Amino acid sequence: MSIGLSPPVTVVQPVALRPSRSLWSDAWRRLRRNRAAVIAGLFLVVMCTIAALAPWLPLVQDPALQNLRLGATPPSLLHGFGTDDLGRDTFARVMYGGRISMLVGLIGTFVSLVIGVSWGAVAGYFGGKIDEAMMRFVDVLYSLPYIFLVILLLVFFERSLLMLFVALGLVQWLTMARIVRGQVMSLKGQTFVEAARALGASDAAIIFRHLVPNTLGPVIVYTTLTVPAVILQEAFLSFLGLGVQPPDASWGTLVSDGARVLAIFPWLVVFPGLALSLTLLAFNFLGDGLRDALDPQDRRDVA
Amino acid sequence: MTARPHLRLLAAFLAGLALVSCAPHPPAGATGDAQWFGSLTPPRENMLRFNNGVEPETIDPSVMSGQGDGRIARMLFEGLTSNDPHTLTPIPGQAYRWESSADGLDYTFHLRAGLQWTDGAPLTARDFVYAWRRVLAPATASRSASMLYPIAGAEDYNKGVTTDSSTVGVHAPDDTTLVVHLAQPTSYFLFLTTFYTYMPVQQQCIERWGNTWTAPAHMVSNGPFSLRSHTQAEKIVAARNPLYWDVKHVALDGVIAYAVDDLNTSTNMYKAGMIDWNPSGYIPAPFIPSLRHYRDYQTGEFQSTYFYSINVTRKPYNDPRVRRALNLAVDRVAITRDLLKGTRRAWGRITPDGYPGYVPPAQLVFDPVRARAELAAAGFPGGKGFPKLKITFNTSEDHRRIAEAIQAMWKRELGIDVELQNMEWASYLQTTTALQYDVARRSWIGDYLDPMTFLGMLRTGDGNNRTGWSDAIYDALLRRADHEVNAATRMDLLRQAEARALEQGVFIPIYHYTTHELVKPYVHGIYHTALDIHMLTRVSIDPEWRQHVPIAAGSR
Amino acid sequence: MITFLTRRLLLILPTLWVIGTVTFFLMRLAPGGPFQSEREIPKAAKEQLARMYGLDQPLGVQYGRFLYNAARGDFGPSYKYPQRQVRDLIGEGFKVSAELGGWALLLATLLGVPIGILAAVKQNQAADAAAMGLALAGVSVPNFVLGPVLVLVFSLGLYWLPPALWTGPASRVLPVITLATAYVAYIARLTRAGMLEVLRADFIRTARAKGLSERVVVLKHALKLGILPVVSYLGPAAARIIMGSIVVEQIFAVPGLGRQLVNGAFNRDYTLVMGVVLFYAAFLMLLNLLVDIAYTQLDPRVELR
Repeated sequence: MSIGLSPPVTVVQPVALRPSRSLWSDAWRRLRRNRAAVIAGLFLVVMCTIAALAPWLPLVQDPALQNLRLGATPPSLLHGFGTDDLGRDTFARVMYGGRISMLVGLIGTFVSLVIGVSWGAVAGYFGGKIDEAMMRFVDVLYSLPYIFLVILLLVFFERSLLMLFVALGLVQWLTMARIVRGQVMSLKGQTFVEAARALGASDAAIIFRHLVPNTLGPVIVYTTLTVPAVILQEAFLSFLGLGVQPPDASWGTLVSDGARVLAIFPWLVVFPGLALSLTLLAFNFLGDGLRDALDPQDRRDVA
Repeated sequence: MTARPHLRLLAAFLAGLALVSCAPHPPAGATGDAQWFGSLTPPRENMLRFNNGVEPETIDPSVMSGQGDGRIARMLFEGLTSNDPHTLTPIPGQAYRWESSADGLDYTFHLRAGLQWTDGAPLTARDFVYAWRRVLAPATASRSASMLYPIAGAEDYNKGVTTDSSTVGVHAPDDTTLVVHLAQPTSYFLFLTTFYTYMPVQQQCIERWGNTWTAPAHMVSNGPFSLRSHTQAEKIVAARNPLYWDVKHVALDGVIAYAVDDLNTSTNMYKAGMIDWNPSGYIPAPFIPSLRHYRDYQTGEFQSTYFYSINVTRKPYNDPRVRRALNLAVDRVAITRDLLKGTRRAWGRITPDGYPGYVPPAQLVFDPVRARAELAAAGFPGGKGFPKLKITFNTSEDHRRIAEAIQAMWKRELGIDVELQNMEWASYLQTTTALQYDVARRSWIGDYLDPMTFLGMLRTGDGNNRTGWSDAIYDALLRRADHEVNAATRMDLLRQAEARALEQGVFIPIYHYTTHELVKPYVHGIYHTALDIHMLTRVSIDPEWRQHVPIAAGSR
Repeated sequence: MITFLTRRLLLILPTLWVIGTVTFFLMRLAPGGPFQSEREIPKAAKEQLARMYGLDQPLGVQYGRFLYNAARGDFGPSYKYPQRQVRDLIGEGFKVSAELGGWALLLATLLGVPIGILAAVKQNQAADAAAMGLALAGVSVPNFVLGPVLVLVFSLGLYWLPPALWTGPASRVLPVITLATAYVAYIARLTRAGMLEVLRADFIRTARAKGLSERVVVLKHALKLGILPVVSYLGPAAARIIMGSIVVEQIFAVPGLGRQLVNGAFNRDYTLVMGVVLFYAAFLMLLNLLVDIAYTQLDPRVELR
């Protein structure tokens, strides 16, 4: 699944405008009018809050507490979402799983953001041989089957949450780099860049203080769409047995474990599955809404 | 607005769940077709369809190792002896009779007259000599060459001590006589001759085609079925071999062995009627409790044990007291009764049950009080100061949940912090072989019906030891057993050896395997056996089964 | 055009060389080897196997030999299945994966494009959100959940369709649907964005002003350009779906290329992995090239350089 989903980048149309305050407030106004995106955003705020506060919330039991005698039981008053075969409370596992999934999604995206934006901006700014070499490298990684890279990364290094972030982020930054490069290339000839250079700003300052902030629109949109992609990819890795290590569990591991016992313990897939799917849906809605809002021209650089 | 698709999604989900309730559930007091699991339509052709699991690494019987590979070998080839389909006792195969000398060192096999390969060429005793020498030749790189080591000179030739293949104790004085000389009396030698490593292969075919001799267009074999087609990761098709000596008793026109490695998929295929037999190991463990009330479910003892091994080369696991503490703090009964719902037997020994003549030592039991005392004696009262322990296991749902249960037990009983390390197969093998672990999940299947098939593993330097354990007392006991001619004395030596290994706590036995398989009611002749070996020669499919099976009312 | 083609084709070769080299060394450095099994293989046998495959040679020699053979498209026999040639294994797996992926992309396009058009025409209306919501639902349910649910309902509940294998037309239905679902959202999204842009263009306004019906405007005039993003998506997607079907291949026991790669990597089947990775990379780059060429045919504004 996830492998095929890396969004394509088509010819990036240059946008010559510097986002002004009014652009952002316009965008905000347009976003607020999009009810689907607003609902999605609110939903995500709630989910993130719950995930962050899970350990301190009332009614959330210890997700690691086993009760072998109890085993897998359907939802009841004591265990609202039922229990798994080790007798652990599914509600608590879904709450804590959300923490890990969100963390994986956000940090994985952050890794891709940092690498992708820097890489793309540097390549686009310097152009010529440097650009050629850097983008060739992106092409090479792009042509490698993603799953092969991830398996190797996870096989080489001790399996840990950190490794998972890196593995997921490393694969996602390619598209981001291409988007930012295209933007920067079209912006670097603009007068405000010339002005900064005339004032003696260094290359680094021009790239990160002047150019990168101007690519924010597409970057925000793509970032919002990267989060669900990363969460989904973690779920896919879980299915292959390469996800987070027990006793930690993400929504991905819960859902992929649950899917195997769908026919006998359906609650083990329904509840984490709903949490996962609704969150992915919300991120996608929000991302689409942001794109509509930030770019009335509906550029097609982001799928 | 957004609510609508959400609701639709939810509705679809709930509709799916409503149908779930007609999925596996114990049909308490069920009648008619509900007594069986899924479709009851026999195959259109008289071919048995089953899932053989993971794609066989090779179908060359001389080289292979592994259960799925072996199933294919038993279809396509036949050794000197074959197995009784119920008891696995050696019965006449390509040899119709044999005799052994009084000292147990010499065996003479007499082949049937007129045996033929699938290409019509005569099969003679020389073919066995060729096949066995080929197994042992280092160039063949057979995975199972050590199965032939009881034969005189076999080990030396295989290990390159000598390059003269005629030093191996197997000779063919004439076309139908095979004489075998053993290195030492081996009570289970006759059983070994049923094994795939002892099956004949045709020299002409192998020399002509080299590596590809096992391709359907090339392969020459001698068993009840002959290879028709082989698609990678999909299926192997074999048809009845008209030149097989006992072809009149081969009831099936052929066999289709699928290569489906996913347990859920395999069980789904069984339910949907795409396969007629779902062999043991291909039912997801959580499903077994709800399947065992169906009439097509069959179960029994399997001579295999599941255990954790401890790396004794690492501190503090070099201390037997620490190992005993870990051992005593495992509540096997809670694992098998509660977690595995009685689908496995709690087991406190290295060797499995049922070796004829073997009186095993007492089983280890759960004793948290003694466990804490042992740990305190080793210098870690209440687990204080104990380093973080890591349990290494290969990726699998079943291994994971047992590791999680044991993780909680050691934390609760001993105060030890346990981390789980889940690895994919190749890394796991590398890690355990190179002794880069603390505690690792393992299991072992017996090759033959003798405790040695398990205990030999813990000898100093044995390739399957993988614990770093080297114990002079244990090695001496096994050495004495090797040379002991008296069966009862030998078994007693083996008992002492096992007791020693248990006392030293190298392995932490957890459970005894049981087979769980599903066989459609229209299939006859697939029986449970102690080594989970199935002889398909006389298996048959009965399309009129409803008339022959009592209480088969109604139809789907 | 010819210089463009030569330039692009010439760029593919060094890229493949880099990919081959990286893969080669990464695989050799991974812990564990191809000749390991739970039951210890005798040392002599292991050494013999290593000799047979030239693994006893220095890494440099092995690498040189690999380059020489790879250049001729020969990867030798699989390490795990020594009686099979990697080339044949890839051929068999590719045929299956290509068919699975092809049907899935076709289905996804047939569903995704109309959804995208509808959403664009009714932008910011209820129908827009509903159509896109439906499409996005597909990408929000992991296919290792969707697959088993479909199997449970249609194979095990209703006995309509086989739950596994790749034999006969009926066995194609569930895997194709499962795989297609995730792609519907992407295609719908691209169509919507493409159409929105085109619908605002001057020539569409002109067409509307001429009194053409909305249906004709949308389907006849706007669609031709509005669908361009989908075209450029389908190229790489067609390559990626070959590997993207791993989960579906696993659940439905489809003997495809994705499963071969994953199992090959897990088994340390060096030759098989090298072969699949290089084949995949070449295939992806060729499809990208084809897309660029197709683009010029569809959109006169784009020129090849």
